Amino acid sequence: MRSTRRQISATGRLVGVLTALALLGLAACREPLEPPIGAAHPGETTPRRGGKLRLASIGDLRGALDPATSAEALGRGAIEIMFAGLVDYDEAAHVVPDLASRWELSDDGLSYRFFLREGARFHDGEEVTADDVRRSIERALHPSTPNPWASLYDMIAGYDEYTQKGAAHLAGVVVEGRYVVSIHLHDKDARFLPVLALPTLRPVCKSAGERYSDSWAPCGAGPFRLEAGGWDHGRSLTLVRHEGYFRPGLPYLDAVQWTYGMNMMTERFKLEAGDLDIVRDISQADVVRFQTDQRWNPLSVFEPVRSIYGESMNTEMPPFDNVEVRRAVAAAINREHYREVRPSAVTISNQAIPPAVPGYDPTFRGQEYDYPAALEHMRKAGYPYDPATGRGGYPGEITYYAYRPGLQEYTAQLLQQDLAKIGLQLTIKLVSFPTFVALAYRRKTTQISNPGWTEDYPDPSDFFDPLFDSSAINEDQSQNSAFYRNPRLDEILARARHELDETRRFALYGEANRIVCDDAPWAFTHNYRFYIVHQGYVRDYRAHPVWPENVGKTWLDRAADAVSSTSPGAAASWASLTGALSRPSGRRASH
Amino acid sequence: MIRLLARRLAWAVFVIWAVTSIAFVVNNVLPSDPARMIAGPQARPGDVARIRKQLGLEQPLGQQYGSFLRRLVHTGPTTVAPDDKEHANCATFGPIHLDLGRSYQQRRPVVVVLGERLPRTLWLAAAAMLAQVLLGVATGVFAAVRRNTVWDHLAVGGSLLGISAPTFLLGLGLQFLFAHELRWLPLDGYGLTFADHAVCVVLPALTLGIFGAAFYTRLVRDEMIGLMKRDYVRTARAKGLPEWKVITRHALRNALMPLVTVIGLDLGALVGGAIVTETLFRWPGIGALSVTALLDRDGPVIMGTVLLTSTAIVLSNVAVDLMYAALDPRVRK
Repeated sequence: MRSTRRQISATGRLVGVLTALALLGLAACREPLEPPIGAAHPGETTPRRGGKLRLASIGDLRGALDPATSAEALGRGAIEIMFAGLVDYDEAAHVVPDLASRWELSDDGLSYRFFLREGARFHDGEEVTADDVRRSIERALHPSTPNPWASLYDMIAGYDEYTQKGAAHLAGVVVEGRYVVSIHLHDKDARFLPVLALPTLRPVCKSAGERYSDSWAPCGAGPFRLEAGGWDHGRSLTLVRHEGYFRPGLPYLDAVQWTYGMNMMTERFKLEAGDLDIVRDISQADVVRFQTDQRWNPLSVFEPVRSIYGESMNTEMPPFDNVEVRRAVAAAINREHYREVRPSAVTISNQAIPPAVPGYDPTFRGQEYDYPAALEHMRKAGYPYDPATGRGGYPGEITYYAYRPGLQEYTAQLLQQDLAKIGLQLTIKLVSFPTFVALAYRRKTTQISNPGWTEDYPDPSDFFDPLFDSSAINEDQSQNSAFYRNPRLDEILARARHELDETRRFALYGEANRIVCDDAPWAFTHNYRFYIVHQGYVRDYRAHPVWPENVGKTWLDRAADAVSSTSPGAAASWASLTGALSRPSGRRASH
Repeated sequence: MIRLLARRLAWAVFVIWAVTSIAFVVNNVLPSDPARMIAGPQARPGDVARIRKQLGLEQPLGQQYGSFLRRLVHTGPTTVAPDDKEHANCATFGPIHLDLGRSYQQRRPVVVVLGERLPRTLWLAAAAMLAQVLLGVATGVFAAVRRNTVWDHLAVGGSLLGISAPTFLLGLGLQFLFAHELRWLPLDGYGLTFADHAVCVVLPALTLGIFGAAFYTRLVRDEMIGLMKRDYVRTARAKGLPEWKVITRHALRNALMPLVTVIGLDLGALVGGAIVTETLFRWPGIGALSVTALLDRDGPVIMGTVLLTSTAIVLSNVAVDLMYAALDPRVRK
């Protein structure tokens, strides 16, 4: 009896201790955010030089830092500031001069003549010349180079001969003097300047040689350079200022450092501790906390929306070979429910062009939720469905592929519920991303899936050409995952590619947008946007419509005694260990 | 003893060959394309096809496997010249070369990538093992000695919690308390100097240590309770030995025998990389590398980590067998 009482008493105490620990944990989760660290001279607008900007990423930079081969979003930010191109994108996504001070377009629209800035230097001190431009382009497009973007440049004259028929040089790239280089196209192509502004063809130092080698030490003419030991694989990348950068006075920062593989919570903790300056990987819960915190809210911004997501319906497989079924799906999806899955990051999409891309028309209604219309389309398709009795609808089962981890895990269930209301029964199959990529783009394999497309370059052609032009249909790895074929659309897209007048060109894409929304190879569902938070002392940091990190003109105004705590240095850890249990004090913004 | 060692080593070589062969086949028959993962999901099919060809992925599977095995261990020059492309990916042990190929994603020799990561994982494994043995044995002995008291219940309940709680939860809790709140230790990372490494290893080692110690606690407690009732322990007490000597010299020493087996197996698994813990604490070891390689379908790195892990586990098993044989003459027979 006594023993039983003792046991009950011991169990009770154990439960009490565990409950107390759980409550402590819960209380910790609800703790308010630490305040941001403010600018040392808030009234000052003249940029100050110096300081290291510290960024982090949940992912790891794996591929080589070579503009000719990089395919990673993570590498793109670093490559953009290491390698200057002939042209670049401004903050409105327009193509502007960079290493070239200007360019001329011939009357026939086939030749671009670029005039290089004299005295622009590579990181190794050598001057950038027209020969370097040609060598870098030929190196990037050579068939031995593992360049994932090479075919984007197939409009350059002589491309096929150079890449497939063994020509020694790319005929379309002609050096016309030490500082003048011309690029000839085999046809007028409005996509040329936007794709030229991508990093792929940017000039690389002579040390890169004529042909690609993966043992090359990255070297370009951008505002930041890589020092020996600056890239610690799997951990961090540090770039330092290129003192010979051709824009006087820039950049203001001494260095930019990325730390890789950091989980979201750690990023937040480090931002709060003053150990990170800008954070981009933020959990849904933390986005809400930052948004509702009046001290952090003014220091945060949503990146421009440059991707689209939608339910891609295979137009070669039943029931989606029936346009009325596709229209029914486009009308049956309540996109507001998609948004509610992650309200801070997801916005509703109703068309093929995302908001950050030139040509986007905010007044265009495109596809919208309309349940009665969806039922009517099902009736026209020959599959009438009665919601009251649940009778009718498409008799077969439809397999839906989604990958995890990702938003699709959740939106798949919403789609399943929405389509059940019009008589379409989905079976969801969750797979890994590599498997999804293998299955969703293979002919006659996937009836419906939810792929996304993020801009490669800011132009409507980057969305219409790969996703809806019939020339993008392939047996395997088909970018046109709906296997959609419409001669009228193909003709409009071909005209738009060759139309150099922007107004007429965007009108053509407007027409293409209407066709795609009506034919519904995709039911457009949502866009995804990133949320960025920075410290108050980070000045002139603006989200860019193309580049993930827009730090070319950013400067730091941090007080010398501002809070800096533990990681990554162990010395700081020991100092704090031997100090006190209390939080360190320091200068923090009170706004 | 030598015959036992030879038999075990032959068996180990067979197991390693079997594991790597299965991994090779599985990795290559999965419905995914490493070239697509390199080029990115938005690259055009023509560009992907060119990269696939450059990597030799268009060759039949048997041919790729044969090439992998031929390359894996071969002979070559003792020192590799910088311009020797044939042996550029090799780790050399005199004239014996180990060549795991070149990482598709990192475009570096896999032996170099593994060479960077292995010491870090070994460091974490050693620290974690120390933590889990010290914590597990101490708590297990304490619980056995205080059997059926509140301390025993706390130890058993705590160990249950330790086994049940996912390591990521435990790690996050430790990060929150010791790094975010108290700011005694770094949140994550590896550091640059030896002092950095020593401080940075504490939280991940504790995370692994607490998880592993929970199992050890129950094992040692149960063994100790059984042993404390044995005649030789009673005799030791009757001879007037102090209780601590009875516990440590007579009971504990024998209770540790089954622990040796478990430690051997755990050590092998830890060398293979603690995937969750390394990822959570941004520990740049084999575990974090394995995750990235799997997600990227980076075949050469996957094969490298599989080979390393299976070798570590098999060799630690051999070591345990030999240790048992050394400790217990019956096994030698």
